[in-house]
Parts: sequence; structure tokens; C-alpha cells
Amino acid sequence: MDDLTAAREQMALSLGFHIVFAVLGVGMPTLMVWAEWRGLRRNDPLWTALARRWSKAVAVLFAVGAVSGTVLSIEFGLLWPAFMERFGAALSLPFTLESFAFFLEAIFLGLYLYGWDRLPPRLHLLTGIPVAVAGVASAAFVTTANAWMNGPVGLVSEPSGRVVAVEPFGPFRSATAAPQLVHMVLAAFLCTGLAVAAVYAVAILRDPAKNDGYHRRGLAAGAVLGLVVAPLQVLVGDWATRVVADTQPAKFAAMEGLDHTVDGAPFDVAGIVEIPRLLSLLLKFDPDARLVGLDAVPAAERPPAAITHLAFDVMVGIGTALVLLAVWTLWLWRRRGRAAVDNRWFLRALAVAGPAPFVALLAGWIVTEVGRQPWIVYRVMLVRDALTPQTGLQTYFYVTAAVYLVLSTALIAILRRIAAGPTPADTPHGDNPMPAGRASDAQAPTVPGSGGRR
Amino acid sequence: MSAADGLALVVLAGLTGYAVLGGADFGAGVWDLLAAGPRRHAQRELLARAMGPVWEANHVWLIFVVITLFSGFPAAFAALSTVLLGPLSLALLGIVLRGAAFVFRQYGAPHGGPPVRGTVAWGRVFAASSTITPFAFGAAAGALSAGTGTGALPMGAAGGAVPAGGSVAEGGVPGAVDGGGVWEPFLAPSPLIAGGLAVACCAYLAAVYLARDAERVGDAALVADFRRRAIAAGVVAGALALGALPLLPPQLSDRLSTVGAPAVALSLAAGVTALVLLWRRRHSTARLAAAGAVASLLWGWAAAGVPGMSLQSAAAPPAIAGAVLGVLLAGLAIVLPCYLLLVRTLRVR
Repeated sequence: MDDLTAAREQMALSLGFHIVFAVLGVGMPTLMVWAEWRGLRRNDPLWTALARRWSKAVAVLFAVGAVSGTVLSIEFGLLWPAFMERFGAALSLPFTLESFAFFLEAIFLGLYLYGWDRLPPRLHLLTGIPVAVAGVASAAFVTTANAWMNGPVGLVSEPSGRVVAVEPFGPFRSATAAPQLVHMVLAAFLCTGLAVAAVYAVAILRDPAKNDGYHRRGLAAGAVLGLVVAPLQVLVGDWATRVVADTQPAKFAAMEGLDHTVDGAPFDVAGIVEIPRLLSLLLKFDPDARLVGLDAVPAAERPPAAITHLAFDVMVGIGTALVLLAVWTLWLWRRRGRAAVDNRWFLRALAVAGPAPFVALLAGWIVTEVGRQPWIVYRVMLVRDALTPQTGLQTYFYVTAAVYLVLSTALIAILRRIAAGPTPADTPHGDNPMPAGRASDAQAPTVPGSGGRR
Repeated sequence: MSAADGLALVVLAGLTGYAVLGGADFGAGVWDLLAAGPRRHAQRELLARAMGPVWEANHVWLIFVVITLFSGFPAAFAALSTVLLGPLSLALLGIVLRGAAFVFRQYGAPHGGPPVRGTVAWGRVFAASSTITPFAFGAAAGALSAGTGTGALPMGAAGGAVPAGGSVAEGGVPGAVDGGGVWEPFLAPSPLIAGGLAVACCAYLAAVYLARDAERVGDAALVADFRRRAIAAGVVAGALALGALPLLPPQLSDRLSTVGAPAVALSLAAGVTALVLLWRRRHSTARLAAAGAVASLLWGWAAAGVPGMSLQSAAAPPAIAGAVLGVLLAGLAIVLPCYLLLVRTLRVR
């Protein structure tokens, strides 16, 4: 492995590890605050218990997301110093705003996590709102910076290529920014919702006695969030694809596996079926429209087409399947109401749908990043020109891989342990007279090292 | 004062925040590593309770510094990232392991009862990585000042403009690329002393803050433990700081005795005051003096400067610098009151 490959693989690994856990850190707080609000409003201790349980998962996920995000921000410089030297200033505003969003998220998460027994219930609920909002905001700002690398605007360069002036708000005006950041934020909610639903679906499948109020509430909250977002995500994905076709024709050609520029391009389904002229029709609303293929791009500037195409098909396939699941869920619910949860095939489908959006998420980032190759800033700077002059980067890659493997294993074990804890039983009349803000999940807050006196 | 000067001050303020707040969290990990005697469990519990709600917010200061640095001084950020690849990678490893291990240990028994197997091991990882991280940062700072292993920084030494087309890629980084490799920044007395000094400063701050936390909890034995540790760490840190002076390159010690003199004097005065206050058991006030001693040490280092580095030549275009500075000041005005709210609401009691 040469140094360039090692640096690229390390970046891919760092981003992949971060994104999988960070999406839960972005999406979970919203679900958690919503559950707490419902618990307070309806005086329902089961919702409060869910919010408490989810806040523990958020604590672990946020910590890992924060440190792995730090790795990314410092790795920009360690691996790609020439990129940061030329474009650090151009990306300054989204990143500066992100740092404040992150600050607020960390501060209010501290208040939220450690304030369960110290703050009055309503005030405690209020401290959760900045966590949810700032989490979404920081994801949006970081994605804006990435979108600028796909569609740089606002640069003023000398003929030598040196950037002499940048427009501070350039990244927010980039055509790629809006679709990419909406797609990313929805992905966070999609992953969160379906992961949560899958946890409770699996629990009920394994032990039918768990088909109780607590598990049904958890399942419903996750499934509603995930399955409402799924069709929206397909629409936003369509928008993002059209913007890619307009702004990055080489990436679009790679995504669709379009080798040659043709009039009336066919639509290729996973390399199996080819439907004549459909791609032109879908993209331009004209079956005979001319679409640019990879052959229009100089060979040295073409992205790796096979992996980009495969990743795109995987993402689109999963997105389509999730919309079908949403439709089926709606049908089941209209026919059988709450008894839909008694259908074991439905539970199995939800269990499978838990990991699916994460696979789609990683596939989507592969499309974005691999599809931009060989550029680090599209048509402005090549990845290889940004590489650090330091050598021996393979060692860093192997160490990163080993550390992240250990951390992933431990983190998943801890999340499973948090999920596996004792759950409150149903109360005779559904609604419970216990004060909702506090008493539920009574076994919970003792944590070694920080328990006891709070 | 130009926008670039303002940004430089914000970077320094962020570094100060990271040192006196984040540094104390690393120092708490050092005391976890060194916990001993009959009260070692109580010591570990107190420091974990003190860190728990705040360490993530304190950690954001680092991200803040990184982002402000590359926003305001992209050329300096690129040069530092290139020559300090080794020390900064070690620090990153420490940061990842520290944060993950701390929370993994905290949730070793999320529903009460005895923690699962492996929790103790994560506690050890937390303690060790809390020690390694400040050492790596300190060594990086020491290597920069002394110019060991960092070669000539690829920035215009005479304050000239950064060469076109990416000076890092083309300018060459002699010390790092050929010869000693990425670990060379560590292989000299001054980076090693600076690393030790950073660890001592973190441990010192942590012990002073923890003595006050123990006081608030009302545990006299723990107060005595951390007071003793604070005095010891303060003496070690002071000795290392003074001991490092003769090792500095002449250019730097000249700057330190002129431009840096007020900061050095302030650090000395605050350090002595903190020791006196600790001796007289005025733990609450001692926290301020101790933080002042460490902060002014950092300011002295910054004032003395890094050989061959000129901030103006490394600064972002003025249009950007002004906008970023405005956003930074507005953002700090929102974040700082929130941070105070966090600390005041969730202090150990």
C-alpha cells in the first residue's frame, strides 16, 4: 500500500466509523426529547423510562462521536495539509459555526444527562431541546463543508492557482449544499428510527412476553420516525441525484454506469436488467435526451466507476425497499391497528430494516467521496496534490483500524447492555399515577464512579 | 489591530480554555493512574464525578482551537500538521482512547450492580491515555519552540508571503521527511521536558480543583489527599518550567526575557500564590491562582513565539478573517454563559 492509498483508506475508515455512530448521536436526542415530552404530558412513566434509557445510549454514542469527529478535524491537516492550506479559509464559516453547535450540544447534553435527578422535570426537558437542535445543526454544517468540496464556489484565484480571496459564505451558496445536507440530516433520522425500532422488534421476537407497553412504545416511536422519513429520503435523494447530474457529470456517469455519451440513455438495474431510454426520461423528462458518459471526461479524471455504481445501486435499492416497508406498515396498521405488532413477519421485517439504512448511509458516502475522485476539491485540486510529504502512513492506518475495531466491539456490547436492562411493567389501567418526571426506571442511575450522591 | 491579530488572540484564548479546563480533565486521569492508599476508590469516584458532566464541553475547546487555527491561519495549520504528524497522532490516539474509555467505564453497569468484566481494564486505559495525551501535546509545543525534528517550518521565515500552490507540498520539510522520521520531534531534551511539564501542569490543576470539590462534598480525608498532591504537582511543574529555561535556543530565551517577560513574571507570581493559598487551605481561591499560573505559562510560550513563524504571513484573506472573527465573538458570547450554567448547576456536591 503506498502512502496515498494509506491516507485515503485512513480517511475512509475514520469517516465511516464516525458517521455510523454520529448519525445516532444526531437523531437519538430528538427521539429522546420527544419521549420525555410525551411522558410528561401524558403522565406516562413508560415514555419517561424510554427517554431515560435512550439518554444513556446517547451518552455513550455522543462521547464516541465527539472523539472520532476530533480525529477527522485534525486528520484533515495531518493527511491533507496542502488542502487545508489552500482551502481552510474557504471552509472556515461552516466549520466555525459547527464548533459552536458542538459546544452547545456538549454543554446541554451534560446538563441533560446529569440533570435527571437535579433539575425540575420541565426544566430538564428544556435542556434536551438545544441538544437535539445543535446535533442536527452540526451535522448540517459539516455536510455543507463537504458539499463545497463537491461544488466549490466563491474562490478567487490568481492565474498561478493560489487562492487570493474567498467568499466567506461561498459554502452556503454552493448548489450541492442544500440537497446534500438535507439528505444527510434525513439519513440520521432514518438510521436512528429504524435502529430503535429494530431493537424492540428483536426483543419481542426473542421473548413474546416483552410485547408490553414499554417495548411497543419504543418500537412505535422508532418505526414512525424511520418509516415517515423513508419516502421523504427517496424524494430528496432524487433531488440530490439531479444536482449531481448538473454539477458533477463524471460522478453521475459513474453512479449510473454510463460509459458512453448517448442520446436516450437506458436505465440499468443492478447490472441485470436494462430498460431502454428510461434514464434520459427520468433525468430530463425526455426519452431521447443526451446524457454525458464517462468517455466525455479525460481518462485521468474519471472516478472508479464500478464501486461508485455498485454503491449507488445498493443505496437506491435499500431506499426503495424501505419505502415498500413503509407502505406495508401503513396497510397493516390501517387493517389491524396496534395489533400489527403481533405479526411476526412484520417484526422480522423491522429487525432486518434496522441495519439497512446504515448500509445505505455508508454506500451513499462511498458514492459522494469515491465518485469525486481523483479530486479533493472538484476540478480545483487533486487528492494526490493534497497529500502530506510525510511517509510511513501505513502504520497510522493499521493502528487506526485496530483501535476502531476494538472500540466498535466494546461500544456495541455496551449499547446491548444498556438495552438489556430491566424494563418497567405495564400498569393496570394504562396510565400510571406515578409522577412521570422522576420515579420510573428506578434501578437506573447508579453508574460506577459517578453514582451515589448526585 | 487587524482581524488576523484578533483571530490570533481567539486561538490563544481557546488554547487557554483547553489548558485550564480540558487540561484538568487529563490531570484527573493522571490521578486515577496514581490513585493509591486506602482511599484510592474514593479518589477515583470523586474525579469521575467531577469530570462526568463537563469533560465533553471542555474537550470542545480543542476542536475550537483547531477550527479557528485553520480558518484564520491555514498556512500555519498546514505547516504544524505536517511537521508534528508524530506527536499529534499520538495525542489523537490518546484523545480517542481517553474519551471512549471514560464513558465505557462509566457505563460498565448501566443498570446498577457490579460492573461487567473489562470495566476495570477500560479504567486503566482511561488513566494511561489521560497521561499520554498532554505529554504528546507538550512535546509538540516543546519541539516547535526548540525547532527539534520540525526542520525549518515551511513558512516565510522573514515574514514573506506563502509561496504559491501550497508551500507544504513544495517547500519541503527537511527534518520530518528524511532522517529521523515522524518521531524525531520527541527525540531531544526540550520536547521531553515540555511533555513532562504539560503532564505536571494538568495533574496540578486537577488536584487543586479536586481539593475544592472534596471540600464541597465534605470529605476531609480526600481534601487532604488532593491538597498534598496539588502542592507536590505544583512544585514539580514549577521545577520543570524553570529547569527548561537553560535548554531553550538563544533566540527563544531572548524573546522570553523581553516580550514574554510579563507572562513569565505573572506565571511565577501566580504559581507561588497558589502554593501559599493551598498551604493555608484556601482551596477555592487557589483554583484561580493555579489556573493563572498555567495560563500565563502558555502565554509566555506564545509570546516568545515559534522560530520562523510569522502569523501575518500565514493568515487567511482579510475578507474571511473579519467574518470569522465576528462569528467567533458572537458565538463565544452565547456559549460562555451556557458553560457557566453547566458548571454551576452540576458541580460536585
